[in-house]
Amino acid sequence: MARMKRPGPLLTLLAGLLLAVFMLTLNATTGTKNASSSSPEASPSATPQASPPPTGAPSSSSPPPPSKSAPPNADYAGRTDDNSSAVAVSLRGGKAIAYFCDGRSKESWLKGDVKDDGTMKLTGKHGAELNGTLKDGRSIRGTVDLGGQRYAFTADKAVKPSGLYRATATVRGAKLDGGWIVLPGGKQVGILDRDGKPAAAPTIDPQTGTVTVDGQTLTASPVTP
Amino acid sequence: MTVDPNAATQGFPPPPPPPAVHRRPGAARYLAPALVAAAVAVALGAYGKAHHPAGTAFNLAGFSSTSAVKSWLATTAFAFALVQLVSAFMVYGKLPGPSWAPTLHRWSGRVAFLAAVPVAVHCLYALGYQTYEPRVMWHSLLGCFFFGAFSAKMLLLRSERLPGWLLPLVGGLVFVVLTAIWLTSALWFFRTFGVTT
Repeated sequence: MARMKRPGPLLTLLAGLLLAVFMLTLNATTGTKNASSSSPEASPSATPQASPPPTGAPSSSSPPPPSKSAPPNADYAGRTDDNSSAVAVSLRGGKAIAYFCDGRSKESWLKGDVKDDGTMKLTGKHGAELNGTLKDGRSIRGTVDLGGQRYAFTADKAVKPSGLYRATATVRGAKLDGGWIVLPGGKQVGILDRDGKPAAAPTIDPQTGTVTVDGQTLTASPVTP
Repeated sequence: MTVDPNAATQGFPPPPPPPAVHRRPGAARYLAPALVAAAVAVALGAYGKAHHPAGTAFNLAGFSSTSAVKSWLATTAFAFALVQLVSAFMVYGKLPGPSWAPTLHRWSGRVAFLAAVPVAVHCLYALGYQTYEPRVMWHSLLGCFFFGAFSAKMLLLRSERLPGWLLPLVGGLVFVVLTAIWLTSALWFFRTFGVTT
């Protein structure tokens, strides 16, 4: 062994190894504590019932007191006329949140205000729009524009366990966002996004809101604006 | 400057040619790097599979998420990998290049490797080896393979009298695998969530 071998490549590997060990130590000692505070995606929002189901309470706490003719707080759920998708709308104190979902790949969350005359124009991402009219507090009739298509729908008043549910969580680094519409009669239409990729959602237990995703039990909560 | 196909394996400036008396058995020159490569890849995969994914790890200030940090680090590594490709052609005389092309090749490789290491640590620590969809499966598989192949490349650099095609082949493999890893992670991230920090 007369010659010295070139140490460069070995040093490179060694540096990588040291860096890896250093990062691992950092993760193991500080990781779990710091991460959830600094990264929004890491915050596990699957905590059950973070928002209590507001029945009569919100009108006292919401800053703009709804006028006496404002539409009453209620949930509505139904299908599109072509029977391809489901729509659910949740009204609270003059505000509305709606979810459109075909149970496979198309979905949209929409938000907006409800006017005193019962009409609403809700908007969502990518230009999605819902125009609807509340009829006697019993049903909402309207249209959803999504992905260049217009879907007419009728959503009837829904009483628990029918309604609109949502669960968000981070499971093994994958950001999960699930939305479910439980129709009057108990049928469910839902989509679960894994890191933004939609797929049919597993069914939830409408009584408790629990659902098993990738072996982990999450709790879907009723959605309110 | 004369073109020496083994230039990449030699020091810069190149050391004197090895004494003829000292010749190692041929198989060991390939066997050791290959075994180390297999060991590294399997060890990473086994760790990723066995370690319960933490789901999270520490984040850098100024970035919205660890995924964003990783995507940018991976993109940095990929950019330097492109430098690697070009400088390798220069070292082998296939492209006109400056005399410091070997140094450029060496240091861009080091930077690329060191940028990739934290990404891999986060992947293995926080996410683990996953197979729930094709993109994730390929990323997991190739990610483990990459560090094995890279180790082999580094160890091969220390061997002398290699066949001329071996280093370009292994180097090219490392580059292709890194590209596939980048496509299945960072590019996917940027396309899904937008080019965010």
